Amino acid sequence: MTETVTPSPSMGDRLRQLPEAGRSLTRAADVDTRLLGLLAALAIIWIGFNVTTDGSFLTARNLWNLSVQSASIAIMATGMVLVIVSRNIDLSVGAMLGFIGYTMAMAQTEWLPDVLGLGLGHPAIWILSVVLGIVLGLVIGALQGFVIAYGFIPSFIVTLGGLLVWRGLIFQYAQGQTIAPLDPTFRLLGGGPQGSLGEIGSWIVGIVAVVIVLIGLVLLRRRQARYGFQVRPIWATVAIGVIATTVILGAVAVANAYPWPEALANNYAEANGIPIPPGGYIIPTGIAYPVLIMIAVGIVMTHLAERRRFGRNVYAIGGNPQAAELSGINTKRSITLVFAVMGLLAGVSAVVQTARLNAAVTGLGVTNELDVISAAVIGGTSFAGGIGTIPGAILGAVVMQSLRSGMVLLDVDSPTQDIIVGVVLVAAVGFDAWLRRKGT
Amino acid sequence: MSAVEQNHPAGPPVSKEGYLVEMRDMRVSFGGVHAVNGVSINLRPGEVVGLVGGNGAGKSTLMKVLSGAQLPDSGEILIGGQVASIHNPRDARAYGVECIYQTLALADNLHAPANVFLGRELIQRSGVLDDPGMEDATRKLMKRLNPRFRNFKGPVQSLSGGQRQSVAIARAIHFNATILIMDEPTAALGPAETAQVRDLIRQLKGEGLGIFLISHDIHDVYDLSDRVSVMYHGQIVGTVNRADVTTDQLLAMIILGKKPEELTAEELEALHASG
Amino acid sequence: MVIRRMAAILGSLALVLAACGGGGAASEDAEASSGGGASDCKVAVSWNNYQEERWALRDEPAIQAALEEAGAEYDSADAGSSEEQQASDVENLLADGADVLIILAQNTETILPSVEAAIDQGVPVIAYDRLIESPDTLYISFDNVRVGEMQAEAVLEVVDSGNFVIIKGNGADANSDFLRQGYTNVGVPDVGENSDTITIVGETYTDNWDPALAQTQMEQFLTDNNNEVDAVLSENDGMAGGVVAALEAQGLAGEVPVSGQDGDIAALNRVALGTQTVDVWKDARELGRAAGEAAVALCESADLASVPDTEEFESPGGNTLTSILLEPIPITQDNLDVVLDADWITEEDLCQGVEAGTLEVCP
Repeated sequence: MTETVTPSPSMGDRLRQLPEAGRSLTRAADVDTRLLGLLAALAIIWIGFNVTTDGSFLTARNLWNLSVQSASIAIMATGMVLVIVSRNIDLSVGAMLGFIGYTMAMAQTEWLPDVLGLGLGHPAIWILSVVLGIVLGLVIGALQGFVIAYGFIPSFIVTLGGLLVWRGLIFQYAQGQTIAPLDPTFRLLGGGPQGSLGEIGSWIVGIVAVVIVLIGLVLLRRRQARYGFQVRPIWATVAIGVIATTVILGAVAVANAYPWPEALANNYAEANGIPIPPGGYIIPTGIAYPVLIMIAVGIVMTHLAERRRFGRNVYAIGGNPQAAELSGINTKRSITLVFAVMGLLAGVSAVVQTARLNAAVTGLGVTNELDVISAAVIGGTSFAGGIGTIPGAILGAVVMQSLRSGMVLLDVDSPTQDIIVGVVLVAAVGFDAWLRRKGT
Repeated sequence: MSAVEQNHPAGPPVSKEGYLVEMRDMRVSFGGVHAVNGVSINLRPGEVVGLVGGNGAGKSTLMKVLSGAQLPDSGEILIGGQVASIHNPRDARAYGVECIYQTLALADNLHAPANVFLGRELIQRSGVLDDPGMEDATRKLMKRLNPRFRNFKGPVQSLSGGQRQSVAIARAIHFNATILIMDEPTAALGPAETAQVRDLIRQLKGEGLGIFLISHDIHDVYDLSDRVSVMYHGQIVGTVNRADVTTDQLLAMIILGKKPEELTAEELEALHASG
Repeated sequence: MVIRRMAAILGSLALVLAACGGGGAASEDAEASSGGGASDCKVAVSWNNYQEERWALRDEPAIQAALEEAGAEYDSADAGSSEEQQASDVENLLADGADVLIILAQNTETILPSVEAAIDQGVPVIAYDRLIESPDTLYISFDNVRVGEMQAEAVLEVVDSGNFVIIKGNGADANSDFLRQGYTNVGVPDVGENSDTITIVGETYTDNWDPALAQTQMEQFLTDNNNEVDAVLSENDGMAGGVVAALEAQGLAGEVPVSGQDGDIAALNRVALGTQTVDVWKDARELGRAAGEAAVALCESADLASVPDTEEFESPGGNTLTSILLEPIPITQDNLDVVLDADWITEEDLCQGVEAGTLEVCP
């Protein structure tokens, strides 16, 4: 970093400078150190569980499971980042999810088939249900946001009220009855072997992603160079490109390494008149649809947060609400929008969760708000406002689900899981705060 | 395209009398307390008008009205001789009014370019934020305002008070401001940084901006202003040409709320002894 | 009757003042305030949480019907899952002149003082569906240990050896352990043990009986055992839904027997489809009617022994209670006509997605 000439340092000096060297390396490469720390924590958790479960954690199947199990919480956590960044909170996401999930289930099992007369299994049913769910989420999220922003009622109160209202409405719907089964096409959005991209589709998605990342890196360099800014050193760009390519294609390879369960594959082969080879008919599963949805949401939300005026304004509001207001930002509209986006994402998660469970139950989404908030916070989102990243929140959700999945493999009971996740949550935030204090 | 480089070739619009801003008979009250009680004040291009007074004299409230942060109960604002309707900060900006606040109104978590363009971000045709464009413009501004400014990437939280103030000033002047309100611009700064901001004020004045300068520091005001308006309990005690008064007389106006000609020798003497 | 009513009012007053002592002297006043036209018998129900499906839909109408038949009056209050609320509900119901109390206890311990207060005033108490540890109450319920036995029996009939997974309900809910006790009674190894033929490869409680959590846990058990799971004992229908979804994703639904209880519409449909083996059905209407009839009998005579068809029940707390224990009915593909005949479910709901002609009940 500095160009001052110093006498050649002793061995001890050099050792002492090691962490400093690491920091300057990441700074030179212009990458987010907080995110790297989270990745390191995840790596430790994964390797730890793999050792304690005698190698059944880091299998293609378990990682595939983990990706699907994390999806719903991760999707909502991306929205919760913006909510918390804007110095608000949304306690109603679980109840919204339940309410929306119930509405979609009613739509596809009763209203659309019977009232509209489409009949069960009509191909338009799943599309209409999904659109209904997402629009409903958007509307009730916007409603809560409007009350918060224009009614000057703290978001804690409004969304606490929302929690009670949406939960209560679930009961009003069907007197607590479970609604199942759901539309067969709709169910694919919840994952499972049929609800996945398959081998070729997954490779196409992976390769497209790699191409986009590489083009993005080149364009960024070019843009920075055009203005004569300091550009990342070429080695760093190349290294980031290589790492990103490896991670993306590696993830696709892992998803494809998980074959369809034997029973399903054999049924499929029989149904299509394919002779079953010795050793079984192998169909690679590929990336599950909920995971694809999660990735798409992550990209869109990152774009919104970092590359759009909306996101910039939300971060400004979180950093200094007064300054944001004085600089002409329409803070009320921004806050309303933040909650509308949160509601929309609760709708998306409702699709994933009901489709995955193939049912709407009264308990749908119960305590999800706590998981979502925890994921955002473990991912580095600060309750002081103005700080937090979307990829961090997604990683936070994966960390939490990794802990839970790993503990089930170790036969740890769910109350004990709660205790451990609770301790990890507080420890993670404490560690983060300690780093921040040291950093400044 | 910043105000610094291309400084209103035709000059800002002024009234027949040559005023950039005229505020007439402004009144603001908070629950029965008259914070601003029938105040009239004006400003010409290329002029610094100092606004002084004790705590609660109403100077900040008066300026908040002009910057759109406070709605008046009554009164009239004319900008360039035309009646201006200012209901919020956005309206004020449309009239070329920019404000630099005492409290350094920056979003601490954002970097300098984001703060300069706060609320008025540059957007590419695709609708995406033009971050390199904003950084480039900020670099150019800073080359002018504070050549030693380097940190364009980190959050402004980590900057010194002077650096933060130059970000705030850059934000104010980037958008062709013709009227600048500076509320205690040097309050949070050290001596070197204060000198720097003073130079900057002279420079902006030379470029034809009209500046309202609110300050507790009587010397600041005395050195920089062309005219000084003194407020006392929500009213203007008097507006004087800087050249016509001494700092002592100004002080007396602030503390006693009387015009220089109304002051008795004893009062001046007492003031001098206590001061 | 009038005297009893007055005693109730005074009794609750005494309760509020934390004072004891008879109040029989004020009986003339009671006559005046009660007015004419009071019905012969007023039965009051204290619900712990009316927001759950079955109480409003099944139990309450059954109780009301039984009372109506006998010309008795009905009154009720909902505690909204709060122990404190339920205590004051009982006071209010007593003050309102209840002759018999039916209590669905939120908390079987904290309800005791309220129960004692009622009995002291000569108002008999029926412990409805949930045990109250007092020998002076009439306990009316389905036998939960029996439910567990029936679940395990039905599953063992399909698969009697191999790898078993046990998905239990909320760890803080005593019913989870009653059901688990039932499993052990019929030959499933106890917690933490294995037998010569049965290995328990996964056993866990499930917070809030959450189906989504049950699904995730089942996925992990399948992953951990490389799909070598031969049977799943799920304690209720909701969680069975999560379990079946996890099995379905592995192409194992219908191959692996799964148990449940509650008679959920979706679960009975799964039984018809063959993806769930057994649904132990507790007809809440039977329970409601039994309670209603018992209440009417208690109006005639407050002596618990006078109620017909009672038996003795040894409670876990060591009390001997007079009880009416109804026998649940295990529903499998062979007796689906039972739920249809009882109008519990419509044929359309039961047979949704079932191939025509494969089942007698689904033509």
